[in-house]
Amino acid sequence: MAINLKTPVVESREQRLGTVIAWDGSASKLAKESGYASGDCSSCGSKARKLCEAQGPFTQGSICSEMMVECQAGNVRDAVTVQHSPIGCGAGQVIYNSIFRNGLASRGLPVQNLHLISTNLREKDMVYGGIGKLEESVREAKRRHDPKAIFIATSCATGIIGDDVDGAASALEEELGIPVIPLHCEGFKSKHWSTGFDATQHGIVRQIVNKKPKKQKDLVNVINLWGSDVFSPMLGELGLRVNYVVDMATVAELAQLSEAVATVSHCYTLATYMAQALEQEYGVPEIKAPQPYGTIGTDAWLREVARVTHREEKAEAYIAKEHERIASKLEELRGKLKGVKGYVATGSAYAHAMVEVLRELGVEVEGTVVFHHDPVYDSLDPRQDTLSHMINHSGEVPNFSVSNRQQYQFYALLQKVKPDFIIVRHNGLAPLASRLGIPAIPLGDEHHPLGYQGLLNLGESILDVLAHRKFHQDLAAHARIPYKKSWLAESDPYILAKNKIAHQTLENP
Amino acid sequence: MTSQTLEKSNSIEQVRYGCAIGALHSATAIPRVVPITHCGPGCADKQFMNLSFYNGFQGGGYGGGAVVPSTNATEREVVFGGADRLRELIEATLKIIDADLYVVVTGCIADLVGDDVGSVVGEFQRRGVPIVYAETGGFRGNNFTGHELVVKSIIDQYVGEYSGPRERGTINLWSLLPVHNTFWRGDLSELKRILEGIGLKVNVLFGHESGGVAEWKEIPKAQFNLVLSPWLGLSIAQHLEKKYGQYFLHVPSIPIGAKETSAFLRKVAKFARLPKKQVETFIEQEEKRYYLYLEDFSDFYAEYWWGLPAKFVVIGDSAYNLALTRFLVNQLGLIPGKQIITENPPDDFREAIREEYRRIAEDVSTEVEFEEDSYTIHQKIRATDFGHKPPVFFGTTWERDLAKEMKGALVEVGFPASYEVVINRSYVGYRGALSLLEKIYTTIVSASA
Repeated sequence: MAINLKTPVVESREQRLGTVIAWDGSASKLAKESGYASGDCSSCGSKARKLCEAQGPFTQGSICSEMMVECQAGNVRDAVTVQHSPIGCGAGQVIYNSIFRNGLASRGLPVQNLHLISTNLREKDMVYGGIGKLEESVREAKRRHDPKAIFIATSCATGIIGDDVDGAASALEEELGIPVIPLHCEGFKSKHWSTGFDATQHGIVRQIVNKKPKKQKDLVNVINLWGSDVFSPMLGELGLRVNYVVDMATVAELAQLSEAVATVSHCYTLATYMAQALEQEYGVPEIKAPQPYGTIGTDAWLREVARVTHREEKAEAYIAKEHERIASKLEELRGKLKGVKGYVATGSAYAHAMVEVLRELGVEVEGTVVFHHDPVYDSLDPRQDTLSHMINHSGEVPNFSVSNRQQYQFYALLQKVKPDFIIVRHNGLAPLASRLGIPAIPLGDEHHPLGYQGLLNLGESILDVLAHRKFHQDLAAHARIPYKKSWLAESDPYILAKNKIAHQTLENP
Repeated sequence: MTSQTLEKSNSIEQVRYGCAIGALHSATAIPRVVPITHCGPGCADKQFMNLSFYNGFQGGGYGGGAVVPSTNATEREVVFGGADRLRELIEATLKIIDADLYVVVTGCIADLVGDDVGSVVGEFQRRGVPIVYAETGGFRGNNFTGHELVVKSIIDQYVGEYSGPRERGTINLWSLLPVHNTFWRGDLSELKRILEGIGLKVNVLFGHESGGVAEWKEIPKAQFNLVLSPWLGLSIAQHLEKKYGQYFLHVPSIPIGAKETSAFLRKVAKFARLPKKQVETFIEQEEKRYYLYLEDFSDFYAEYWWGLPAKFVVIGDSAYNLALTRFLVNQLGLIPGKQIITENPPDDFREAIREEYRRIAEDVSTEVEFEEDSYTIHQKIRATDFGHKPPVFFGTTWERDLAKEMKGALVEVGFPASYEVVINRSYVGYRGALSLLEKIYTTIVSASA
């Protein structure tokens, strides 16, 4: 299925990929129902397959697409993002500023505040429209910061009142002489916030990427977040240079996306929309391989990068060297971690990788929760079937749940498995685990467990966090849980959804 | 800097408040009260992660953070309306969340689509469910005005009518905005302590020392309402006056330090007609302790070699801004450099606030400015002449780089305070003032070689 870059509005994940945000079963059942299982997705047609979704009547506040635009477009170093919204959406400036600053520091870049400006829409703008304020804010953005590009993030409010953001952006682009890029990211438009990643990437490919690329034969795009610089040393071994995008990149670095020799990422959930679009539009190959986690994944990933960039010999030498380097430490960690039970609660493709890393470290994993599930990625290529890779190389995960950061379900999920620790990235689940005496490893640096060194890194972090248990267990003896006893006694966290579906079936057989 | 860049703009860069639905925190700040949000999928998380987490890392407490139920409205609710979805969510919430009161707050979507939230919530109220609602769509205002809406909703829809007797010596305290003010928990606790010290019974209403909904039910019985802030809470007190015939005392400045606090307590005591003896005994005992510590501190303050700032800048919401300015001028003898109020107080109150600054001390008068956009604020500060050495900044994380650029110390005292971990620290009253002194001068001394 081709990515449609003709319109300024990105097609949502559920439209393109059949994304679900609520599902429960085993990993192998999910892989089978996702349609990759046959090894050939061509029979699935151009539109996504349909997984049965276990959406119940109770939901807790989640995350929205606009936040992902803030934390991607809003973290481009020499651009400004204008949030066309009432002031509440602008609250996100705080968290993404903190993350931006820490990311810059860890990458050795000059620390600065991010450049996000809210149009601060009020009641009368809801009646008369907010385009005038948008124009003023965009001009203000240019005057204040002289940016190389200006992104515009839409909001639920502007989506409903129907402001012509595209029209205003085109006119302003002409007036200011820099790309002015509307990013359509109304929270209500997609059930899953990862559409916000795609919205940002859609705008970048349409309006920033160099349309007449001069190929750079040693440049590899790395689509990632704020992670520390682990790709440069790895790819450097192959004689390749790294172009990190989107966070903390410059507009020039975004522009050269079309000039690279390949595109890789730390996580397919984040990256496959833009990687596929670059392949489709500019022939930049997207590396279709397992993700670079654990020795099996990293070996296969390096070999595929080497094959595509014609550097096989260098890759083999590096692989052999790294295997030897980590062997004794890995063995030592495996000894220390024997019998330890972990639980993964992260974004989708990243979780598949984390399970593999944990198991290679000798940690038992009986349960995993992902915030959504994409039955396929945009390439439709089975070599990117990260879920099946996890199952084939590390085994079944019997309790594999899709739950869009629904803390009320997390209680029962933890009770089933009773892990010694959990791995998280997004906020909201670790606080409940803590009150139950279970510590979390919050992977702020998404590259921490990546590659060969990542195995050792995560192993060390597990040992650290197991010591933390003292804090959490003490707390658990005193903490209050806001859920009713009857709900805590319920072993099936999807029971409400099942009842709802059964009820609807009765009414509409 | 051109004059053009300082023109009033609608743009807000580096926010200093959330939107009206941010007042979901006015529900979570009451023990065992849980908000139900009827809004898009990100609204509840966004207000929490920013107003609470990256602001002193306050935590979600019992019913905040990722606990908050939300309709997570989709295209369906936009096109067909979200009333049915809200009804379904409330019904399910009652089965899952253990709370004494549920507070429905709405976001932009529900308010624009025009969902009849009142009628949905009304169905549950008639069944005897403890539940109220407030329409807090983001375009209606900020989390300050949202707070007043939520409080009035709880009073009107939950506390209800009352015509019984009043309890002499009991007061309701309306002061700092919970959660948005980074130090609200410790501060409310200190305010309750000192007011009880002079013999009052205090319905503190928010925070760990509140008695929860039972305390809220007591609101109409109080002798009077004490509004301790420049403007926030005044409309609540006026509402209560109308509703219950309860009068109120308005003290614009939250007291910091012995001088301010003793004067404040005497004022309240006089209004409440408390017996003088107990009041004076308490003040004496507090002042004695305060000045023993201040005496210890004075050695440092008198003869530290490496320079202490003489001027100060305060950038923050009016409550802390005024309180800090009074303390810094009157207790420490610092010179006002620039005071900027950032929460967009309603126009009606601005002149009275300006007046407070004009008579900040018997011999000191200063002007205050109102500005919400940090770019403009920072340009104004850069354009100010602070004399021979940099001022000390009382501000937020947004001033971190500015303070470095101007070589001044920064004390983060308000939203967002992303470089502070706050548990029960307080900066007000007798005890809080000493913590504030520690914080100010530790910051300054730790920047030395």
